[in-house]
Amino acid sequence: MSYFDPIYIFFAVPILLIIYNLVPKKVRPILLLLFSFGLFIFISKWLTLFLILSIVSIYFIGIFLDKLNKKRDLLIQDNPDNKKEIKEKYKKYKKLVLILGILINVSFLFFFKYLNFFATNTNLLLNLFKINYQLKVAKYIAPIGISFYTLEALSYILDVYNEKIEADKNIIRVSLYLSFFPQIMEGPIARYSDTASDLYAGNKVTYNNFCSGYQRILYGFFKKLLIADRLNFLVSTVFDNYASYSGATAALSVIGYTIMLYMEFSGTMDIVIGTGEFFGIKIPENFRQPFFAKNISEFWTRWHISLGLWFKDYIFYPVSLSKSMKKLTLKARNLMGNRFGPLVSGAIALFAVWFLNGLWHGAGYTFLFYGMYQFILILLGNIFEPTINNICKKIKINRQNKIYRVFQSIKMTFFVFIGELFFRATSVKAGFGMLKKIFTNFHLISTFKSGEFLKIGLDGKDYVVIFIALIVVFIISLLKEKNHNIREEINQKNICIKWIIYYLLILSIIIFGAYGFGYLPVDPIYADF
Amino acid sequence: MERLIEILEELQPDVDFRTTENLIDGRYLDSLTILSLVAEIEEEFGVEIPTVEIIPSNFNSAKSIWALIKRLEE
Amino acid sequence: MKKMLRFILFMSILGIILLILELLLIQAPNMNVIESLLDTNFEIIEEKNDTIDVIFLGDSLVYSSISPMEIWNEYGYTSFDCAEAAQIIPNAYKYLEFAIKTQHPKIVVMEANVIFRDPNKRDLKYDISYFAKKIAPIRQYHDYWKKYIDFGSKENWVNVNKGFRYIVDIKPSKNKKYMKKTKKYNDIPKENISYLDDIIKLCNENDIKLVLVSLPTQVAWKYKKHNTTDKIAKENNLDFIDFNLLDLGIDWEKETKDSGEHLNLYGAKKVSSYLGKYLKDTKMLIDHREDSKYDDWHKAYKEYSKE
Repeated sequence: MSYFDPIYIFFAVPILLIIYNLVPKKVRPILLLLFSFGLFIFISKWLTLFLILSIVSIYFIGIFLDKLNKKRDLLIQDNPDNKKEIKEKYKKYKKLVLILGILINVSFLFFFKYLNFFATNTNLLLNLFKINYQLKVAKYIAPIGISFYTLEALSYILDVYNEKIEADKNIIRVSLYLSFFPQIMEGPIARYSDTASDLYAGNKVTYNNFCSGYQRILYGFFKKLLIADRLNFLVSTVFDNYASYSGATAALSVIGYTIMLYMEFSGTMDIVIGTGEFFGIKIPENFRQPFFAKNISEFWTRWHISLGLWFKDYIFYPVSLSKSMKKLTLKARNLMGNRFGPLVSGAIALFAVWFLNGLWHGAGYTFLFYGMYQFILILLGNIFEPTINNICKKIKINRQNKIYRVFQSIKMTFFVFIGELFFRATSVKAGFGMLKKIFTNFHLISTFKSGEFLKIGLDGKDYVVIFIALIVVFIISLLKEKNHNIREEINQKNICIKWIIYYLLILSIIIFGAYGFGYLPVDPIYADF
Repeated sequence: MERLIEILEELQPDVDFRTTENLIDGRYLDSLTILSLVAEIEEEFGVEIPTVEIIPSNFNSAKSIWALIKRLEE
Repeated sequence: MKKMLRFILFMSILGIILLILELLLIQAPNMNVIESLLDTNFEIIEEKNDTIDVIFLGDSLVYSSISPMEIWNEYGYTSFDCAEAAQIIPNAYKYLEFAIKTQHPKIVVMEANVIFRDPNKRDLKYDISYFAKKIAPIRQYHDYWKKYIDFGSKENWVNVNKGFRYIVDIKPSKNKKYMKKTKKYNDIPKENISYLDDIIKLCNENDIKLVLVSLPTQVAWKYKKHNTTDKIAKENNLDFIDFNLLDLGIDWEKETKDSGEHLNLYGAKKVSSYLGKYLKDTKMLIDHREDSKYDDWHKAYKEYSKE
């Protein structure tokens, strides 16, 4: 099952829209919930039980935390003199409840995603110490999107704990927040305050919402079918057997994989956000022209935004600003000065973020390596920033200059390619093997002459289609980066031009899409994480 | 307020902190710089900034950071 | 209401454009008209013209029991699994009809389960996609725009598994005995008989020897089906090999991937080897292993044995 399945998006969803508009406003959230659960059960069968357990757990934990907050406030009102004591006492209670909630949800995630990795590695250790005992290694199929909805569940109880939001007494709204059907496969990881009230509003699907939703969805299809799916064969062929190909082909497949990942993931987000638009639900954006970023640190505020924000809010700041870290910062500042002092606690928090980020993508050394790679790049970037700034000043390079900005983005993109190489590689060793091949065995001209580029599933026409489609996406991204609201601008055009644009979009997808006869269907990449 | 601007300029010399209103959204302050900033403010003004207050709307301009400090001082 | 009309107008114009495009694409040079509405990918089209000796028709039993590469390696005959999951007999006919447009096989082996499968009982998803293909056949051959432009063709790409699904998973079956003897016959849906007649006719017209087989499965095959198939084979003067009655020494503890329903690679090797010997005994086929025209098959086998 994929959101790109035409039966889903052009048949099941429109039927849902019609029924949704026909039923009374109050029933609509329930209908959305039924459809969401239907889809979840269709994909994950009885494993839906774990989703329900997560929902029920955060619902009650939330209410419990809220009760503690209210009780505390009442007590403080009565004894304003003991304010501090009461606060401390209740903080302890709350912490216990919070930890219980975190444990429940994280244990499900651990069981499905990490137990296997954990057991394998423990066995290796046991072997190493010649202990004759082996843990059972079993791989379980996880409920769909468990990595996504677990983070949403945690953000909900943490927000209630921090009193950013009040606990919801309506279990239907809480359920919808965790299980809303467009988000179950690949996120985005929304916050309760982002979507919950819209989800429950039951607003009618208007003609304008309908059109604008499909406008966005078609753009997602364009990216996925013209570019991502076309690159699929190239990527899997070369990555799985890189030794048989030249460095140039390997480099092509690495670039191809990064493009494919971006087109597939951001294309899916177009479908997700477009589906939300039907119902007037604003699902937060997950991408903001990532390749225009000037360094890796900024890249991560533009790529998979919701995941980055999650780690920032719930890991980075809580760790780096915890009491013990603050003490460390003070000491470090005395020793290393104001510029580098805070970097110490920052680096520790950053390490935690990227270790967990790597692990979140999957239990495997390639993902951990990928996380550490980003960590080191960001840290180095921060350490050398003043030096680079000084050098630029000395040789009189204006860092706001357009050419310098383009140079920065190209450099950044290069590092992204290498990161994604390890992300996709079959093992860390294979990743290094591929990297070595690219740098020592490039042979562009002989590869071109031998026709190797045409042996990896793409013919010349496919390359042309990819190239043109990429230019289209690039121009649209550039306009967005320059703060053009393209979708609004198209809507303002007269009907003739508007329709021609739509027809071109639809026809290019139908004719130039990589689907059906001669193409392998492609599974959604991020749904596995 | 003047002291705050001084601190900010020390951290990021190229930005005009008097007029810029999108310090976070415009990526003038990244998360590691925020850490330094928080440490400086806490030392200079004797306040404690809890993590829940570290949200873009509190740090997008010198004015809003100042407002946050004033609020925490109370 | 006005918006409704506008939407209908938009869709109608889209429909007209699609129709025109379909007409254009169908006329593309070298177009093999795929009039059929199958869900399968017709992998066989990738094979060079006139290189396939034997075609295997049927459902998932075919692509999990018969590995053309094993037959090639042992006997040098070229074959292809023209199979799809839960194949129904009208589709078997269409697949065969499609295959013989580019290939001239001497022998067609049809797996007999398709004779018993009711073509009207396919699931909803199949019906919907069937319907979608019927109203918008462009989905099937949208890629033919490539035939209008002539540059940068794909270098020869070799299909390694020839329709076979290479699976080494093991899930043992506890079932020791199956195929309990009976004198009963299994019913056949009426229309299937006429489709079977069509297939026999098609084979006769093209000088193809048609063979019926049942492939090893503890779940999908019953003695009643054996009786019926045996009767059909005798009436039409066809060979019928029932692998479920033969003793190939299949180890149902190790050689099945799903508790006895389908074989895995290890079981498939035994079936393929037996079939290869049967093909040899017909004396209708030539060993191509020394023929340089079939170098691709050696290449494919090299890849296959690496898997």
